[in-house]
Amino acid sequence: MTTNKDEYQLEIELIRSTTGCDLIAVALVDNAENQFELKWKYASGNLNNRFKQIVLQSGRGVAGIVFKTGKPLLLESISESVENENLFNYPILTFEKLESIGALPLWHEGRVAGVLLGGFREDRMMTEKLLHHMLEMIEQGIGNLDGKEWVLVDGYKEKPIEFLNDENV
Amino acid sequence: MATKKNQLNSLMMKTYENSTEAIFFFDIEGKAIAINPAAEKIVDPEVLKQLLQGAEQALCQSCRGYTSDTDLHTCLNCYLSSSHPDDFSSFQVYLETKDKGVVPYTATFHTVDFENGVRVFMLRNMTKQFKTQERLYQNRMMKHVIEAQENERKRISRELHDGVAQELLSALVDIRGMKYMPSKEEILKKMKQTEVTMTRLLDDIRNLSVELRPAALDDLGLEAAFRSHFKRIEKSYGLSVEFRSDISKKRYGSEIETVVYRVCQEALLNAIKYAQVEVVKVFLFEEGNTLQLIVQDEGIGFKLVDKPLGTGLGLFGMRERSEIVYGDFDVTSGISKGTRVRLKVPVGDLRKEG
Repeated sequence: MTTNKDEYQLEIELIRSTTGCDLIAVALVDNAENQFELKWKYASGNLNNRFKQIVLQSGRGVAGIVFKTGKPLLLESISESVENENLFNYPILTFEKLESIGALPLWHEGRVAGVLLGGFREDRMMTEKLLHHMLEMIEQGIGNLDGKEWVLVDGYKEKPIEFLNDENV
Repeated sequence: MATKKNQLNSLMMKTYENSTEAIFFFDIEGKAIAINPAAEKIVDPEVLKQLLQGAEQALCQSCRGYTSDTDLHTCLNCYLSSSHPDDFSSFQVYLETKDKGVVPYTATFHTVDFENGVRVFMLRNMTKQFKTQERLYQNRMMKHVIEAQENERKRISRELHDGVAQELLSALVDIRGMKYMPSKEEILKKMKQTEVTMTRLLDDIRNLSVELRPAALDDLGLEAAFRSHFKRIEKSYGLSVEFRSDISKKRYGSEIETVVYRVCQEALLNAIKYAQVEVVKVFLFEEGNTLQLIVQDEGIGFKLVDKPLGTGLGLFGMRERSEIVYGDFDVTSGISKGTRVRLKVPVGDLRKEG
């Protein structure tokens, strides 16, 4: 029997080999005792496990932003789009020496339940096209997440949460 | 030709008599040959007399040193007797004046008569320039302070708008939706999701409040506030802090506690931003009536004289804060030698004297 853990790991290994990313990582919400913590749970191609210690705050960092907005995030060139001054706010980028990344929300029952990150240690390797490709790979869900951004209520398609805007990304 | 020379002579005389610059001529032995009225105005009459008599080191009675590469006021390698007279084509010197106290001057000291070794020493008062510079500096600092204040407000406003308001809205949408849900299970499921949203909202508000000012600092003191701050740092930035303290639960004046806390916070943030380390050591202890804080890393370090990578306001702010509590603040660092920030604050008896 494959456990959840193996499933995630196998799936992200597959994503990494098809996309050629240096790093694929999945952040999930941990709900232990009313503490809903967002943490990087699974990774493939990582240099070390340091970034897994970090508890991500909603709205902060790569995973936090994607988690909060439910929108994909593409940073083709980190050296260009993130000021050195502010790089410390994105620990995974410094710990894993990433230069180009894309991140997608992972949906479950109409809510963002996690974040998928694909990154390269070379500039401008992550592109819109590649991110789209990644999106297609997880459209049917990943691990135990159903991948559904829309839920059916009484047979009607309903988008449960309308995010206000994304100007704050 | 002769008239032109005459004219120049008379102009030079007038310059000597009426210039606002003080002019001294010294012969080869260091005796003053001539001193112009502007110079007479600034030098003490007694010193003036001695200068004209050629008393040894007469000028030293008025001179308060010149500015070198290493010191603001120094007598090392004095301009009057230097073996490298070329170095003194333009320098800054401090003189005790007759009625205005110690005044900074721009000076030149060079030979004008090579045959007889006569040298001229000219002084221009710098007080006004210094004042202008100081005002400029103050203005610039003020601008930085205002900017920092606005940035902080922007951050809080954003946090409220994007964090608190957003989560609250999403909870509101959930609750609205519940009214139209036919089955109990669906409502329960929705309730659970709303619970998550509310918990996150609570976290957001707590974080925001602690970041602004940790309640632990006021209620429980430095050590407790430090411990929870370091835990947060570890969680958010993956930097572990080795903390050693021997002050236990001891409390100090709120002013001192705030300064020590903020200096430590800033020093740690610098380590996170620039040092490229995984561990930072923090020591907090009392030594002979001073409370000491040391924040030390073994990171890449920096040259203290280099242009700062950031605004340079962090270090400036730490120093300013230290001064409020009569503290002594210093930073030691070097390329690949790590960085150490040390703050010593007088506490107890010493403080009363301060």
